[in-house]
Parts: sequence; structure tokens; C-alpha cells
Amino acid sequence: MKIETTLSGSFPKLPLEPGAPNVRVVRNRMDQGKSTDRDLADATRETTRRIVALQESAGVDIPVDGQVAWDDEQTYFARGIQGFEIAGLIRYLDTNTYYRQPEIVGPISWTRAVTVEDFRTAQKMAHRPIKAVLPGPYSLYRFSKDRHYRNQEEAAGAVGEALARESKALEEAGAAWIHFEEPWLGRATSSDAPVVRAALEPLFRGRKAKTVLHVPFRSPTGVLDAIRDLTWTALGLDLVEAPDAWSVIPKVPPGRTVALGLVDARNTRLENPSDIAKAVERARSMRSDLTWQLCPTASLEYLPVDRAAMKVSRLTEAARLASGDGG
Amino acid sequence: MPRGLWTTTVGSFPKPPHLERARSQFARGEISAERLNELEREATIEVIRSQEEIGLDILVDGELYRGDMTTYFAERMEGFQISNPVRSYGNRYYRKPVATGPVRRTDAWTVDWWKFAQDQTSKPVKGMLTGPYTMMDWSFNEHYPSREALAMDLAEAIREEAIALVEAGARFIQVDEPAISVRPEELKLAVRALGRAVDGVKAKTITHICYGDFDVIYPALLDLPVDMIDLEMANSRYDLLDRFRQHRFTKEIGYGVLDVHSHRIETKEEVKQGILRGLEFLRPEQMYIDPDCGLKTRTVEEAREKLAVMVAAVREVREERGITA
Ligand SMILES: [Zn+2]
Repeated sequence: MKIETTLSGSFPKLPLEPGAPNVRVVRNRMDQGKSTDRDLADATRETTRRIVALQESAGVDIPVDGQVAWDDEQTYFARGIQGFEIAGLIRYLDTNTYYRQPEIVGPISWTRAVTVEDFRTAQKMAHRPIKAVLPGPYSLYRFSKDRHYRNQEEAAGAVGEALARESKALEEAGAAWIHFEEPWLGRATSSDAPVVRAALEPLFRGRKAKTVLHVPFRSPTGVLDAIRDLTWTALGLDLVEAPDAWSVIPKVPPGRTVALGLVDARNTRLENPSDIAKAVERARSMRSDLTWQLCPTASLEYLPVDRAAMKVSRLTEAARLASGDGG
Repeated sequence: MPRGLWTTTVGSFPKPPHLERARSQFARGEISAERLNELEREATIEVIRSQEEIGLDILVDGELYRGDMTTYFAERMEGFQISNPVRSYGNRYYRKPVATGPVRRTDAWTVDWWKFAQDQTSKPVKGMLTGPYTMMDWSFNEHYPSREALAMDLAEAIREEAIALVEAGARFIQVDEPAISVRPEELKLAVRALGRAVDGVKAKTITHICYGDFDVIYPALLDLPVDMIDLEMANSRYDLLDRFRQHRFTKEIGYGVLDVHSHRIETKEEVKQGILRGLEFLRPEQMYIDPDCGLKTRTVEEAREKLAVMVAAVREVREERGITA
């Protein structure tokens, strides 16, 4: 039985080969007044093309656009939404990477599509349907500082509404899959359930596209009861950094998909495809009423590009082993 | 008369623009290692002189010869390779250490620089190292079966360097663990690794920790087996003092009073108030006054102005409270 492969968010922007279009170089040159916005747009487009091509040639079934224009996983979206301002750099969870903290300073209101043009650009370059990637509403709320709303549910709900509107715009542009990155679901406990529900419920109202709630780094065990009955298509799990996420699989509602995060997106050590295939087998032996995807544990952005590319190859090789005869 | 409120800094100083340029020229092969070293030595002398002029009690070498705080050490060790650039945020990238074999210290990392800096001044200069937990957390691990195994081998290597610094004459050894506060569930591992790194090190031992989830790690933090814990007090508006009210801070403290992330120069009055609030919960002889974190992200002028305000505030508090250095 074929297992589909996909990536879990952004991809390194630097080129594998020297001399190829390089957004880092262009941005440094812009700081010196030697490059223009146009140069950056060109480099961004060519980098997206390279990232899409790399996935397609490796055989990724559901590629992503790599989020080349994003500085981190939140602000690119939040910047485009009324009610948000972007503040100083702070540490991203427990890592040595950073993001600019969005601050909610007024009523959150979606007035225009933020990511649809990027989606269209990538889709034109691809032969397969591109999966759109957005911050998950619960995590975007948690990553932000709320200076406006009176209570958490109201704020989280407003963030959820904005992401629902963006999702609708993506659907109308043809997105078949939308991925929501939700690291904070792995940190939520049952007492957070009302806020989690407030953030997520708007997302699934009238949704036509297939959706992934992807939870990197930790297991969403604590809020599973709160999210089980929402109509997401797939739940993404990090089975490397959070082996306890295996215990979530028996509790997933029948008929859903689990995206098995089995390729470590935060370490350069390369996995053995046959080990991954065995882990897929283990998942299949647990449930015959679920569909499976295979993916990295999180976005590959924080690996050196050479390793990220190798990880994509290992991922698709493992999927072929797991899908093949006797796999 | 009580003694206390000694002034110091957390470690890094801003690199002057000409040194930043020289570093990129060196990376492009346009100047020699000798030329870069010469410029680094000149700039280090300048940083020592500046600290003396400002009137700090315990000095640092400023780390002008270091790039990243983990890569500098990893490059000098066996068992590490350095990765291709990895993003930290936006357009900022760094090369990350990759443990590909057993990690070992085969040669001194900082002893010559420490000696050079100490030769320039009669004030004590701190030996400055990155801690085993942080080195582990900020590296890729392709060799070790666990995070702990890598951290403990790093601790061994760091301990050798710390002992070499003490043998060279260092009286203060600071082993920074900025990563410690972000994974409370690993605090025990961090305590074990840091304990090994300072085991048998006959100097005053210090660790600096960046702001994190103190609700979870305090007071367990006091288990860190060092004499002094250096904390960011100012950028959380001295919120930590509430925790000290509930559970006494039992070690010496590096008491951060300058927000290193802001261009704004603090006023003498606000720094003074910060110190006075601290004195409600801490004894003066427990307290070393310093900036919240390394100053490398500020300009040379901002760093100098901020430190001058800090020293002036300390002088006033000492005078008002009859505290001597
Ligand atoms: Zn710090």
C-alpha cells in the first residue's frame, strides 16, 4: 500500500551549489544598497523553484513551497493581518533560533490574502499539488503577546478566524492541502482545552481543502480529547523527539490520516530508510483503519541545506520501501 | 562596614567596526591570520583599558577573537565538524558544531588570550568558557547515543580548560549556560554536566543563564554546583525578586541591571533602584553587579555609556549604604 510523503513546513533557502540564486546574498547586498526589491523577488522565486524541483525529483508526493520569504514561522502571516504588530526577537521555544514576537494590539481582522500569491507562484512551478503551510492558530496565539483582548478564548478565536479566512482564500486559489504548524499543541494540557478549541474550531467550518495539524517536538497527548472531534484530515506527529506520540495513534478517530514524523528535522544524523520503513510498519500494525503519510518531524529549515536535501531523499526512499512488495 | 556590589560584565564586548571588517576580509582570504590576530590583540587592549577607565572591578577579555560561542570551542576540539550555514532567524546564519566522534580537548582554547588580557591589567580577568549543556544543546549530534553522553564528554574537556586557566592564574572561572533555562526537564542533566566541568577547579566559579522559565526552574536552579549564578534581572523588570522573596537566593549572584537588547542608555536612577530592590532580598557581599547578558550586540559607544551609568549607580548605592568594595 502506497504511503504518501510530504514536508512539514519550511526548507533551507541557501543553494546547494555556489553561484545559484541566493536570497541571503541578495538581502545582504540590499543592506548595502547594492540590490533592489526586484532582485530579492527574483531570488525568492528562483529559490522556490529550486525547492519545489528538489522535492519533485526526490519523489515527494505533496511538496511545499519552502516559505522562502518567511523570516520565521509566524511573522510573515501576522504582519499581513490587521491587529498585529511585530515586536522584538525572542527565542523560539527551547531552541537556539529566534522569531519576532507578534503583538495583538487591536481587533484582529483579515483584510487580504497574505500567502495566496506565493502559493500560486509555487503551484505553477510544480507538477503535483502544493501543500500550503500556515502557522496553526493555537500556536500563533501562544507565540504572540496579547495586549488587546480581555480573555484568552476571545483572542485565540480571533486568530482562528483570521487563519480560517486565509485558508478559504487558499482553497479558492486551488490549494488541496493546508498544513497548520502547531508546536504549542504539544505543550498544552487539558486545562488549555477551551483556548485550543476556541482557536481551532473556526478553521474547520466549511473547510473544503484537506488539513494537517502538525505537532512537532512534543506529543499532543494533553489535548487529544479536545481536538479529536474536529474535522482535520491529518494529525502530524514527531515520533523522534517525542516517542510518547506513538501512544496517540490508538486514539486517532477512524478514517483519519496520521503524518508520521520519522525523519529528524533537528539533527544532521541521517536515518536509515529501512529503519523508517520498519517504524511505518509498526504504525500500520497498530491501526488498519487509518491512512498514513511520512514526513520530517518539523520544518527542515534549521538544518544545513546539504543535509536537508539528503533527508528528503531518505524520506522518499523509506516510503518506497514501506510501500513496496513486502515493504 | 559591609563589602560587596562588585562590578563586572557577562563576557562579550562589541567588536569595533574595523575588526568586523577585518574578520570578513580574513574569511575571504584577503588578510592573513597574523594580521587579524594583531588587530584582535589591539582591540583587546582597548577593551581592557576601557573597562579600567569605566572603573569595573572584575574584567573580561571581551571575546573579540571569538565568533559564535559554541563554534569557537568546537573548532578547536577533536570529534567536532562544523556544519554548512544554518539559519537562526531571518537572514542570520551560523555554522553549527556537529559531533561526529568522541569529543576531546587536545590543546588549550583560551589560555593564551586570558594571559594576554591579564598582562594588561592589575584587576582580575575572568576565564570565560561555554558550558557543557549549552555546547551539547547547540550542536548536532551524530555520534553519541544520548544528549547526556555528549554533555558529559564536553564537561570533561571544559574542566581541563578551566583547570589550565586556574594554573595560569585565573581566580574567576565563568562557565556560561545560556541554554539551561529552556528545558526544565533537563535541569538535572545540566547540573551534573556543569558539576563535572567545575569539579576540582580552584577558583570562584560562575555560570551565566539567560532569561527563561524561572517559575519552573527556581529554586532547583540553586542546585547548580557553582559559587555564583549570573542572571538577567533588568529585562524582566526585576520580577525574579518575587521568587527570591518566596525562596531565598542562597548563592552569590551576578545581578544584571542593564538591558543588553536595547539601544537606550539606562538612567543612573533606574539602575540604582534596581540594585536597592535587590538589597531587600540579598546581602551586598552576595551581589556582583553587571549587565543582563553579553554586550556584543551593542555598539562600542552604547556599551561604554551603559557600563558608566552602572558604575556610577553602584558608587552611589555603596556610599549611601556604607558598603565598600
Ligand atoms: Zn544571557
